[in-house]
Amino acid sequence: MIRNVVIILLLGAGLWACSDVYKLSAESKSVVVDDAITSNASIDSMIAPYQDSMSAIMDEVIAFAPADFTKGRPNAALNNWAADAVLDLHARRNPVRGQPQMIVISLLNVGGLRNPINQGDVTVGDIFKVMPFDNEVVWVEMPWETIPEITNYLIQKGGEPIAGARLDRDTLLIDGVTAPAESFWIITSDYLMNGGDKMDFFEQRIDQEYHGGLLRDVFMEAAKTQDTLVFDNGNRIQL
Amino acid sequence: MNRRDFLRNTALISGGTMIAPSLFSREVFGSKTSKKDKITILHTNDTHSNIEPFPENHARYPGQGGVSRRFEMIEQIRNEEENVLLLDAGDIFQGTPYFNMFEGVLEMKLMTQLGYDAATMGNHDFDGGMDGFKSAKEYADFPFLCSNYDFANTELDGLTEPYTIFEKGRYKVGVFGVGVELDGLVPDNKYGETKYIDPVETATDCASKLKEEGCDLIICLSHLGYTYDDETRMSDINLARKTKDIHLIIGGHTHTFLEKPVEETNADGKTVLINQVGWAGINLGRIDFHFEKSTFEKDELILVQ
Repeated sequence: MIRNVVIILLLGAGLWACSDVYKLSAESKSVVVDDAITSNASIDSMIAPYQDSMSAIMDEVIAFAPADFTKGRPNAALNNWAADAVLDLHARRNPVRGQPQMIVISLLNVGGLRNPINQGDVTVGDIFKVMPFDNEVVWVEMPWETIPEITNYLIQKGGEPIAGARLDRDTLLIDGVTAPAESFWIITSDYLMNGGDKMDFFEQRIDQEYHGGLLRDVFMEAAKTQDTLVFDNGNRIQL
Repeated sequence: MNRRDFLRNTALISGGTMIAPSLFSREVFGSKTSKKDKITILHTNDTHSNIEPFPENHARYPGQGGVSRRFEMIEQIRNEEENVLLLDAGDIFQGTPYFNMFEGVLEMKLMTQLGYDAATMGNHDFDGGMDGFKSAKEYADFPFLCSNYDFANTELDGLTEPYTIFEKGRYKVGVFGVGVELDGLVPDNKYGETKYIDPVETATDCASKLKEEGCDLIICLSHLGYTYDDETRMSDINLARKTKDIHLIIGGHTHTFLEKPVEETNADGKTVLINQVGWAGINLGRIDFHFEKSTFEKDELILVQ
């Protein structure tokens, strides 16, 4: 049933410049914009030329999604897919020289994944919707001592997309690493490295190396390479 | 918040057919309030370049939203009501390839065509840089209200206003805007020398000026966000509690689907409403304010559901 909300506020005489006393009531009548209403021809014709030139680029199918990839906390398929796509880049495009034993993880933010990838064909436009921002991928070298701070951040946020490591309650475990090192590298976006989403720990970075590409292009490349997107909603974050 | 409940509650009035007033509201004000004594506030927030409806296979909001349908809905309401204001609480830009390809021009053209009366800036409205916003704004025929960004020495100097006043029939509606702190949200080079001012300070100032100007209804367009886990962080809830003379805060930023406006108590002990309608133009917010001559002399609040 409809439950309109009526909120009545009586305004005192002395409160207002005008001499009348008003009883002010508010009635909430928000509506869902759905297909129960038809579209408007004049607006449609305004959009059409833009839509056409955009579709020529954005509607190209580049992969297939076997399920819905949504983002979420602490874990979700889109989180894992995005973090994996970034970590996979390391094998192909590592810009760091002179550190053959470097330890690498990837870290993104849930807030930066702007749309799910829906089951079915995946288009260029779908990837734009996941990552509309022109953020660049960057390798960031961090002192080993920052791990507790990063761990706390992940716990406080309730999880963020991560690959090459997992959070086991209060411990961040980096894959294949059993002993502390001097430093490790996080592949992330320049937005996050520069303090976006309050990832202030990046201020303590030792070094940074750009790979010269956009995060969106990394996702685009991963989708094309995989052809059928790899679905993994495994628990990398155990709170 | 339970979106499913929201959808259920609003499903019957979707499609623009306003079945109002309800039984409850008829009992309360019935025929006493005419259209002349009613101000209809329509609002959106965080539309994020969602021009077209979501596709039918969308994981969360299949087939919902769309600027064209929103326009149709707004036009129906305008045909039924005398005093309508259409407002937006920011983050107009970013989220679909329309923004990547056309840099906000189409969003501004469409909002102008839909007849938006005013908007405030969200953090993502800086995503094209201040020059990007300025270029797109050339196509906007409505004011951007920003009271707590000091744009002196930037490209946006003089292009926004802290507040404005609309005369709607026999009533004056004052509207002002407040924005979120940009540091940490927006890359430095996108907002340059913009100075952030405490929103409580500017909101207090704006509301007081609007009251002095004789406004009957005072509305704050806010991109601060509804509320946060860290309760000390500036939010609509905190703004509502720390200010006075504001009747309605139309919020954004946190993409919060409020089932109905939330009531808060302001610094004067009076009620202020906060509303936010999710994002992407999935919902069109609507609050009807009824003015009724009263013989009451004390403040009182009655909530009827």
